[in-house]
Amino acid sequence: MTWRIRGKKMLEKIRSEILSRREPSKPCIAICVSTGCTSLGSLELVERLKEELEKRGLTDKVDLKLTGCLGFCELGPRLTIYPGEIPYFKVKPEDAEDIVSQTIIKGQIIERLLYVDPSTGERIRRLEDIPFYRYQYRLLLENNAKIDPKNIEDYIALGGYQALAKALFEMKPEEIVEEIKRSGLRGRGGGGFPTGVKWETTRNAPGEPKYVLVNCDEGDPGAFMDRALMEGNPHLVLEGLIIGAYAIGASQGYVYVREEYPLAVKNITLAIQQAQEHGLLGEDIMGSGFSFHVKVHRGAGAFVSGESTALMSAIEGRVGEPRLKYIHTAVKGLWDKPSCLNNVETWANVPYIILRGADWFRSIGTPDSPGTKIFSLVGKVKNTGLVEVPMGITLRDIIFKIGGGIREGKKFKAVQTGGPSGGFIPEQYLDTPVDFDSLTKLGSMMGSGGMIVMDEDTCIVDVTRYYVDFLFQESCGKCVPCREGLKQARKILNHICEGKGTMEDLETLQDLSELLRNASLCALGTTAANPIMTSIEYFRNEYEAHILEKRCPAKVCKALVAYYNNPEKCQACGICLRNCPVQAISGEKDIVHVINQDRCIRCGVCFAVCPFNAVEKYSPATPPPAKYGVKVVRRKKEK
Amino acid sequence: MAGLSKTEILLKGLEILSEYYSLGLDKPPLSLELKRLKEEALRYMEALKQIRRKEEALKEVVKEIRGVNEVVDKYGENPSALIQILLDLQAKNHWISKIALLWISERLRIPLSQIYQVVTFYKAFSLKPRGKHLIRVCLGTACHVRGGPKIMEAVERHLGISRGETTPDGLFTLESVNCLGCCALGPVMMVDDKYYGNLTPTSAVKVLDKIRRGESEK
Repeated sequence: MTWRIRGKKMLEKIRSEILSRREPSKPCIAICVSTGCTSLGSLELVERLKEELEKRGLTDKVDLKLTGCLGFCELGPRLTIYPGEIPYFKVKPEDAEDIVSQTIIKGQIIERLLYVDPSTGERIRRLEDIPFYRYQYRLLLENNAKIDPKNIEDYIALGGYQALAKALFEMKPEEIVEEIKRSGLRGRGGGGFPTGVKWETTRNAPGEPKYVLVNCDEGDPGAFMDRALMEGNPHLVLEGLIIGAYAIGASQGYVYVREEYPLAVKNITLAIQQAQEHGLLGEDIMGSGFSFHVKVHRGAGAFVSGESTALMSAIEGRVGEPRLKYIHTAVKGLWDKPSCLNNVETWANVPYIILRGADWFRSIGTPDSPGTKIFSLVGKVKNTGLVEVPMGITLRDIIFKIGGGIREGKKFKAVQTGGPSGGFIPEQYLDTPVDFDSLTKLGSMMGSGGMIVMDEDTCIVDVTRYYVDFLFQESCGKCVPCREGLKQARKILNHICEGKGTMEDLETLQDLSELLRNASLCALGTTAANPIMTSIEYFRNEYEAHILEKRCPAKVCKALVAYYNNPEKCQACGICLRNCPVQAISGEKDIVHVINQDRCIRCGVCFAVCPFNAVEKYSPATPPPAKYGVKVVRRKKEK
Repeated sequence: MAGLSKTEILLKGLEILSEYYSLGLDKPPLSLELKRLKEEALRYMEALKQIRRKEEALKEVVKEIRGVNEVVDKYGENPSALIQILLDLQAKNHWISKIALLWISERLRIPLSQIYQVVTFYKAFSLKPRGKHLIRVCLGTACHVRGGPKIMEAVERHLGISRGETTPDGLFTLESVNCLGCCALGPVMMVDDKYYGNLTPTSAVKVLDKIRRGESEK
């Protein structure tokens, strides 16, 4: 049935119709089918569930809802059963039968699929009691669990497009801009620029038509919050965009999505189509007389294209290179017309602010950074996934309370925020509140929300080299400081990692960073200094170990590490011998295996496969001399 | 004359020869004449083959142009749609041929140099044919700290190629990618449209072996 919504009352009517058609008691299985859970097999699970339901003739009596990302990707595939909101984790296709026969039919909870609290060993029945969720404030992500992103009715049933109706029929465009300004919403893409001010600039700028744009070119490695919103709740972003367009006076919008997110492209395209069919987008929106159109533009894989001027030039069909911003894009952007570009998460906040008011929004977070922020908490932390927290929470709370601390009982070393151009934050600053200004003070930045935790096994010099290498490759080459400066920095860092560095190199690196920061054309170059500066400032000892002692403290840098088979632990099982790709290991039954250092390429396979932890890493690369023909000392297998 | 068989050509030659005789041009011995005619027939066949090849090539060009036309028509002759058109072509053929570039330039009225700049700037495009299966090993930060480079090395060693290359049998093309957005499951690798998470060097190689086995069974 296609209905076109005209007026606020009709939206209400349609919503109550949708709700009346739904029985709250009808069981519903909601399964995450976003990229993370799919890679863990959630689609197979869906198929099995369908089979099981069909077998029992329950296909019409149970809803299967395929939802977007629920955050806790580590323990996927994730599944929730309504009514009762029973959360299951790590569900395998084989569990489908039990889920239908026990939970759906008998209403019994399957204990083995519940979350186990690692500290108490207790199985947790309620989602809110799981530490990972308990300390979060899930505003934007909350509905991901309740919405099938391919179905506009789900969004409307939860009160969707009511903010748009309020904006169109009860507010003047100026009032909307004023409300956003008053809310203190700041750009979630990383810059932290006040959103309302940006809107006002575009609104007042001369020139027609005006454009509004969504930036979903989430190029920061280690960040996937925009993907989760686009895949899981595309109508929320779209509603925010339409409200923005109305407030700014734009008639055309663009959604820029990176091509590496095929599902996000699919879902937003479908959302646009559905909104158009129902009169929520296109000509004469909801009968208000306001017309607005949206197009999806897929990026083609270039990190720098996330920069505002580069992104606009990419939409124009050209190479995504930045230009100087003497005149802001808010005044002269896409095709030299006033253009307002905001991040996915920024747009997603708009409907909430319009509906609940600026004062409500200001009550969350800190006075200078109100609201929530989604982070992708990844790396060496126990609970990886997406977390949404109120601004002002400390890094320690995020990493240790929500994240559950470091994996395998290792020691925390640093957390890196803001993607490749952010900085490293060491342990002593973990009590810093997370907001735009505090992180910048530490030499890092909020960035789009990547939060990568590193433990004692992570080499800071190696990761810095990784970032510089990444930025060097992604540099568009237009300005000299970025193109040549990063090249030299990379060369120096490579030298240090290979044990060929000198202390003078550190000064050169700092000089180069200053140059990058002051002379580069766009933010890719200016912020490229952050990882270099913060790593030298907070982890100088690691650089010194590499340079002076030829030692990599984390035993990561290949040239400074040697693998050695401890004769006291080796059980001559032959596993390393078989797995070694270059036949560098010799040995036989009952005779301790020996690694030939001249042949070894330091790939680390023996270290990874040894069931007795007999293979040890040495840095500096001077292991004890190898002895051939030593008899094995038998011992019990270590666990 | 395209449909003539070898024997037909030979008979045709003999026919011409008989005309020679009737005209009194029978000076050279018959065996020599036959040899000459055979050579002529072979040359003719070679030329025919070349024409066939050209015909095939032309058919390819026509097919290529039709394919481009389909995509261009979807977006209209709008220069700003260039990247979207190229993305669609890349997805369809797994690479972008010289002919496609030339034809896009013709239809969108964009200089070839500008198209070449775009194609070489963005990572999504390939100017070389890719293998049947595209392996993308994630080297994003989250995967990097969890051992992504070790996965890459293991795959490179196993396939005997470096990133950006295709195996000689045309089965696999190996590429690195900056982030697949599955950071919670690192290290991650993507083969075609399937994601593989929480990999170890050994399990990554096993995935590829399985695909290879599946191919040889086909």
